[in-house]
Amino acid sequence: MIATPHAGPSLNEASDKDPFNNNCYGTTVDRAYKMVSLPVLDVNDFNERIIRGYEEGYGESQLPADLSVARSLIPAGTASLRDFSYIAPEIPEYIPANCTGCMDCVTECPDTAILGKVLGEDEWEAKLQAIPEADREMYREQWSKTKKYYDGGKKKAGGIGGMFQIIIDPSKCKGCAECVTVCDDDALKMVAKTDDVMLKARKSHRIFKDIGPSNDKYISGNLLIDMMLKEQTLIYTGGAGSCAGCGEGTALRMMCAAVGSKVGEDWGIVAATGCNTVYTSTYPYNPYLVPWTNSLFENAPTYAIGVRMRWDQMGWQKKPLWIVGGDGAMYDIGFQALSRMFASGMNIKVLVLDTQVYSNTGGQASTASFTGQNTKMSVHGSVFGGKQERRKEIAQIAMMHPRTYVAQTTAAHINHFYKSVLGAMEFDGPAIVACYTTCQPEHGVADNMAGEQARLAVDTRAFPMLIYDPRAGDTIKTRLSLMGNPNMKGDWFVNPKTNEEVTFIDFARSEGRFAKHFDKDGNPSQTLLAAKQDRLENWRLLQELAGLR
Amino acid sequence: MTDPLESIDFAGDLDVALEFLKRTRWELRALRKVHVFRDRLRVFDVNGDYFEIRGIGYADADVVPLLRAVNTAFDPHTIQVPTDAEYKEFFTGRRHAWAEDRVM
Repeated sequence: MIATPHAGPSLNEASDKDPFNNNCYGTTVDRAYKMVSLPVLDVNDFNERIIRGYEEGYGESQLPADLSVARSLIPAGTASLRDFSYIAPEIPEYIPANCTGCMDCVTECPDTAILGKVLGEDEWEAKLQAIPEADREMYREQWSKTKKYYDGGKKKAGGIGGMFQIIIDPSKCKGCAECVTVCDDDALKMVAKTDDVMLKARKSHRIFKDIGPSNDKYISGNLLIDMMLKEQTLIYTGGAGSCAGCGEGTALRMMCAAVGSKVGEDWGIVAATGCNTVYTSTYPYNPYLVPWTNSLFENAPTYAIGVRMRWDQMGWQKKPLWIVGGDGAMYDIGFQALSRMFASGMNIKVLVLDTQVYSNTGGQASTASFTGQNTKMSVHGSVFGGKQERRKEIAQIAMMHPRTYVAQTTAAHINHFYKSVLGAMEFDGPAIVACYTTCQPEHGVADNMAGEQARLAVDTRAFPMLIYDPRAGDTIKTRLSLMGNPNMKGDWFVNPKTNEEVTFIDFARSEGRFAKHFDKDGNPSQTLLAAKQDRLENWRLLQELAGLR
Repeated sequence: MTDPLESIDFAGDLDVALEFLKRTRWELRALRKVHVFRDRLRVFDVNGDYFEIRGIGYADADVVPLLRAVNTAFDPHTIQVPTDAEYKEFFTGRRHAWAEDRVM
């Protein structure tokens, strides 16, 4: 296919519509289109002709159904060209004086819309001089002298402190306020998107990309949280079509970062149909910079077995292969395929995005749904109060497969999440990382609550964290670690501030999906009390397996 | 802790206090949490800005409708139990789930 000649600038360049070129390839620095050596996919044609058609609003009605369109192939990273700056009324603003450089905001953003950079003070000062004088002070004021990078950096970088900046990409931010919520230092706040605010945001983001990459000398290899300062870890670009604040987006980004920190872009993903496939392949936008494929809901592990076998034949044994799927795909419809993959002993890793419901198809109950949950297939009515069955536990089932690495975690527990993924990577066999992911519309929580609700799910035993590593010993209790859960030896977590037990009822009280289980006086239903007992029994079983009871 | 954006003294008129809290929807950004002290109530947004009602605390019966007015996730049966902590903290992040009123 020959690209239709276009007189104007490339989509990867500034234009009248995007004067600061915020919608372009590369996350912390600009990069060219990611080319592929496939005769059936002309990346330049795709990006300049097909994406332009969608960006300018005529794609669906006027693009010819030629081979390029009909194949539904999408080049890597095309979501970088997508503009979301119009969808939210507010955007975060950075307050450098309060920032400690913790990187929580960068890590927890579901949209790769908040980015960090660290530079030595001397190079930073030199680069500032290259910025037009009119913008120099405006941009200088957005940098921070943190104890972590400035004072700490002086000790290890020849007496020169590291200057640190957080920037918001206004073309990718959806205004969920997750970053503001996770910031414990009041270094971010939501502000209205006025013309002045957006001009400053767009201009600052452009200078941020022009100023070059972070200086590796200031990035600690021992701090997993610093991972996302490196461009090579930002494999999941902004521009995916997930809901504002989506918990899945954060989990996917973090998995990609952890894998990318080890092997860059030399790995691949087989995705099971679900929300994750919809928002990461909403034609023609793809946020992944690694090869990605989707066949059906139920067959991702089977498909991955085939990919693994072919890769191994090609001598690519070291190339990691991940499966991504939701609880519907992994607990239910693709469970047989998943179990078969575990039994194969093949070197394939699985990330389960567990929202406890079929989020994509309108909220049907899955076997991962909690007892009492109000879903489309377990509507809360006068006879039955939501789902009547108990939740199935994929982690325990996976542990009983031969030599399988198992982790259960959340993206809000950043170190535990990264350790789970890196542990899975290091394990030379099948591995599964089941991740609690908040689904705002189905759970009935606010856009900024993905992390808070994930933490509460762990604190209330709704979703205990664990790592089961077959290499750690010969018995289940030596292999299974419940580290990271509060009050590991007790039944419930007791809030040290109030001295009150925090139970599954408190979790349920905080989410709309359980709202009908509380009467006007706030009393929980019998079904919800049964759900609380179910969660306690599940927790006690894990304690017993881990040798804590 | 900064000063509240707005505050009132509770003089026993619940309707006045509820009317005051209605303004939070317009003058604060998305609400995040509530702190209930022995003698005051603070409603925070995501930016940490807050409205304050002085003269009513967790031991008062009238605190229950005020907490419900800002969608607080709390247990009405334990809200009045004394605590050694300076305040009790609750989230205000519960929302209606998508299609929760679907009828089969």
